[in-house]
Amino acid sequence: MRELKPWLSLILQRRRRLLLGALLMFLTLVSGLGLLALSGWFITATAVTGLLLAAGLSAALNIYVPGGGIRLFAITRTVTRYLERVYNHDTVLRLLSDTRGRLFLGLAHQAPCAGVRLRGADWLTRLTSDLDALDTLYLRLVAPTGLAVVASALVVLLAWLWLSPALALATGLALACALLLATTLLYRRTRHLSAKRSEQFSQLRGQVIEHLEGQAELRAAGLAPELARQLCDSAKHFCHLQARVDVATGWHQAISGWLVNLAALAALWFGLELFGGGQITGPVAVILPLSILGLLEAYTLLPDAFGRLGATEASARRLNKDCGLAKPAMAVGAQDLVTAPGAAPLNASSIDLNNITIRHAAGPALLQSFDLAVRKGEWLGILGASGCGKSSLADALAGVSRPAAGEIRRAADVTVAYLTQQTVLFDDTVRSNLVPDGQAMADERLWHVLELVGLEQRIARIPGQLDGWLGAYGTQLSGGESRRLALARVLLRDSDLVILDEPFTGVDAQSQARICQQLRPWLQGRAVVALGHGAMALPPTDRTVRLG
Amino acid sequence: MEDALAQPRSETARTGAKPRHGRTWLNQLAKAQRETIALTVAAGTLAGVFTIAQMGLFAWVIHQAVVEQVPLMALSAEFAGVALAMALRALAQGMQAQFAARASRKIRERVRQQLTEVWQGLSPARLKSSSAATLSTEWLDQVEALHGYFARFLPQLAICGAVPLLILGVVISLDWLAGLFLLLSAPLIPLFMALIGLGAEKVNQQHFKVLGRLSGQFLDKVRGLTTLQLFGATHQAAGKLQERSEQFRRVTMKTLKVAFLSSAVLEFFASVAIAVVAMYIGFGLLGYINIGPADQLTLFSGLFVLLLAPEFFQPLRQLAQHYHDRAAALGAAELLLARLATDVARADQAPEATHSERDTSIIQLSDVSVSYPGATGVLNRVSCKLRRGQCVALRGRSGGGKSTLLHLLAGFVAPNGGAVSVFGEPPGLRRFGWLGQSPFLMQGSWADNLKLVAPAATDDAILSALTLVGLRPLLESRPEGLYSAVTEQGAGLSGGQARRLSLARVFLADFDLVLLDEPTAGLDEVSQQGIIDALTTLKSQGKTLVFATHHERLLELADRTLWVEHGALRDA
Repeated sequence: MRELKPWLSLILQRRRRLLLGALLMFLTLVSGLGLLALSGWFITATAVTGLLLAAGLSAALNIYVPGGGIRLFAITRTVTRYLERVYNHDTVLRLLSDTRGRLFLGLAHQAPCAGVRLRGADWLTRLTSDLDALDTLYLRLVAPTGLAVVASALVVLLAWLWLSPALALATGLALACALLLATTLLYRRTRHLSAKRSEQFSQLRGQVIEHLEGQAELRAAGLAPELARQLCDSAKHFCHLQARVDVATGWHQAISGWLVNLAALAALWFGLELFGGGQITGPVAVILPLSILGLLEAYTLLPDAFGRLGATEASARRLNKDCGLAKPAMAVGAQDLVTAPGAAPLNASSIDLNNITIRHAAGPALLQSFDLAVRKGEWLGILGASGCGKSSLADALAGVSRPAAGEIRRAADVTVAYLTQQTVLFDDTVRSNLVPDGQAMADERLWHVLELVGLEQRIARIPGQLDGWLGAYGTQLSGGESRRLALARVLLRDSDLVILDEPFTGVDAQSQARICQQLRPWLQGRAVVALGHGAMALPPTDRTVRLG
Repeated sequence: MEDALAQPRSETARTGAKPRHGRTWLNQLAKAQRETIALTVAAGTLAGVFTIAQMGLFAWVIHQAVVEQVPLMALSAEFAGVALAMALRALAQGMQAQFAARASRKIRERVRQQLTEVWQGLSPARLKSSSAATLSTEWLDQVEALHGYFARFLPQLAICGAVPLLILGVVISLDWLAGLFLLLSAPLIPLFMALIGLGAEKVNQQHFKVLGRLSGQFLDKVRGLTTLQLFGATHQAAGKLQERSEQFRRVTMKTLKVAFLSSAVLEFFASVAIAVVAMYIGFGLLGYINIGPADQLTLFSGLFVLLLAPEFFQPLRQLAQHYHDRAAALGAAELLLARLATDVARADQAPEATHSERDTSIIQLSDVSVSYPGATGVLNRVSCKLRRGQCVALRGRSGGGKSTLLHLLAGFVAPNGGAVSVFGEPPGLRRFGWLGQSPFLMQGSWADNLKLVAPAATDDAILSALTLVGLRPLLESRPEGLYSAVTEQGAGLSGGQARRLSLARVFLADFDLVLLDEPTAGLDEVSQQGIIDALTTLKSQGKTLVFATHHERLLELADRTLWVEHGALRDA
């Protein structure tokens, strides 16, 4: 349960909404329960009175109060159910955005920023499905459990005060067993199965992807059918685990329902005993058993949620690990990117690289014992074939990643703007894409930089212009246009050092030439490091370094 | 349980054929598990029967004690009877869960098998046109989405037809007027179902739309996280995420408020039916109602009817809860059907091909043409002969047909015209070596990965194969040697190392023919050298090598260089 803690405390921030939602659920349950119990009381009372009247005895029964009560419960049950559903779905949607917001901040505060970029598409898929698993935490797990516990306790308490302790104990015992069976015991029984199932699922995903990507080789070696069969077998095993969880859930639900029914029967037995002793009337003896039959509704939702809890925990565990939610103290802010790890102040240089080594995860070193100094205001070109470590060097220069060895020194007040090799645009307005941090910036300046990258006419055609939308729900830009917009974003950033990694990917030669002409005056006085596969791909520089 | 799993292959192939409509397909799948689903429904109906018995006995006990003044002890047998009916009800419910789980499991297993059969039938090039992530999502998540439909929705639909009718019969036999009240709502039941369907579908669609959009927004920001961090804009982005989801929420809630009304209608009728029945019975028992069967009412029949009234509506309410299962399954069915209906362009042509040339010493292409969507390049009436033991380099612009030619020799694609024979046999009949850009690495040890192609290989043989591709030093750095995992945490193989591992398989399996598609592209110097050395050894062993390449030193290795351009072949 430890894994769920950060998520539960996140949910509990909306305490008042949760309580109100739970109250509505409670009222719905009480209305249903009251409708049945009051109707039972009414029918029994009328039967008894009817018999007395038929025997010619005088008897009186107020039929208006219970009749009104029955009608009232019928209405409140409908109305509260409707309100409860609307209100609680609203809550769930709010929680949905809470969890996403929290997770995003968790990711944003993680130290190695490039991590997200390296983890790939299937990581994102998994992240989404794990998040979905946590979305139902409140509506499926927390609220129904609370409801069942409170309603059951209330029924037992009333029985104790109003009828007899023996009756209350007997029903209380049966209800407690039912509750345990539907929740904790089921959870204990399925926890490992569910966790294993969840783990096998992601393992299977990896295996399927391997299998598909290696399809040509497997087929050549005549191995494809055999391995496909093995995959199907693994899936079968996984389905088996799930079926076991389902079956356990079904049985726990059935038996816990039986126990609730038994509680009603016990209440009837003790109630009729009190009736036999003349302590209560017949109609009163009927109320509690029927209420407990109505209580069954509160128990039916529980097993499903608790059978799944093991998997939900596994999802939470992965999210906690991925997103550093487990230890928020580790948070490293974005400012870490631009402050200098170096000690000595630098005079002539913007940035100094001493004896650094760069490599991918566990691969061979791409750059070894590499030294580089970028002087203030200098334009430096770095050339190298693809795969030679250019982008990793750019990442290191920008402070996005640290080199495997060596030292990078940058004065504390040197600010960096970095155009990454990968073009990143957001599903957002043109303005937000140009100024992601929302800093106030005059429209003229934005249009000026758009003109520089040759996009002013294109953007002017977008409905809404600077406030028009880009991306999935707006205007789609071509690859070259996107690249130029990303470049414009970097140019707008007030910085001492500008790093441009393959700045003109997908940009036609004519546009590139025009942009290069205007780049110098715009970037007056700033140091520029441009990286590319050849001199043609870069703006003219003062000096070039060739890698590899 | 296991033997029933063995489905005849012909049948699976037939089901995978044409059915256009998602629902028809789901019904077909259900048909294959007819017995288990019928058992699920039977158990659910039986649970309904025991519920009726339980309620009847419950009312009977109260009647005996309150009206007939029977002492409690004399009623112990009846009490035991109620407890038994309750237990049998639970038993039936448990069995229902058991059967439901089984039916759904078998159906999912079958669909997965059908999907893998489709994969086998497609050429690797065509399979690549959908990303591995998409295909794996179909195979795993979409198939899982079928679960709720077969385990819950479908049986519940049948139970909805049976249990309310049974209850109605019992109520009518007790008091036809009370039965009439319930019956009056019965013609409304199909209407309810439609209403619930509409409402639930809308709720469901809305939910997934919102979830999709929220996820989209979220992923959009996560993907661009580095950029956001570089621009100090993470807090801004988090705020935006919040704002957007707030907008989505407001729009969604408008729809939901209307959509939930339909289930409120069902709730309303259920509540009103209980209230009306209770009032009718109460007044009847008091003797206020002089028409119909009201004067026959007793406490027993009155309570019994009251207790059955909510049970009459219960199956419907449950169905409403399972409605999202249906929507999820229909969505998945559409995607899966599209995949299963992919016309499998198998290399069926093999028998027709006129491989009159039974010469086992040559690979022969006679007048071969390839052009269809999914092939990376086209070939136009190409003919050539390659001798056994020859080392052939294919050159030419990308998209010019090099890969298509290799796929043709591999038997991955079938020619539209002409014939291909590899050493006197149709291509792909005999095992051969293939090395592409993405070699197959499975989770497991080095030994596991190599024994794939030669299960009987000794450790010595494996070690010498690894020596030949220059992976020995790397292996020796691993703590458990051959038995250490290939992809350990943080110490996976680089692209070049993985390709060399794959080449070691070729040595181990002793394939006669080895086809290689740009074997050195994108590799570091060490790996390139390792591969060139290994190919030199293979050549000296007399293997037939065909590779597409631009690499200078590999071209030097070749005995013969063929240019593949504009769909034509010519010697260099």
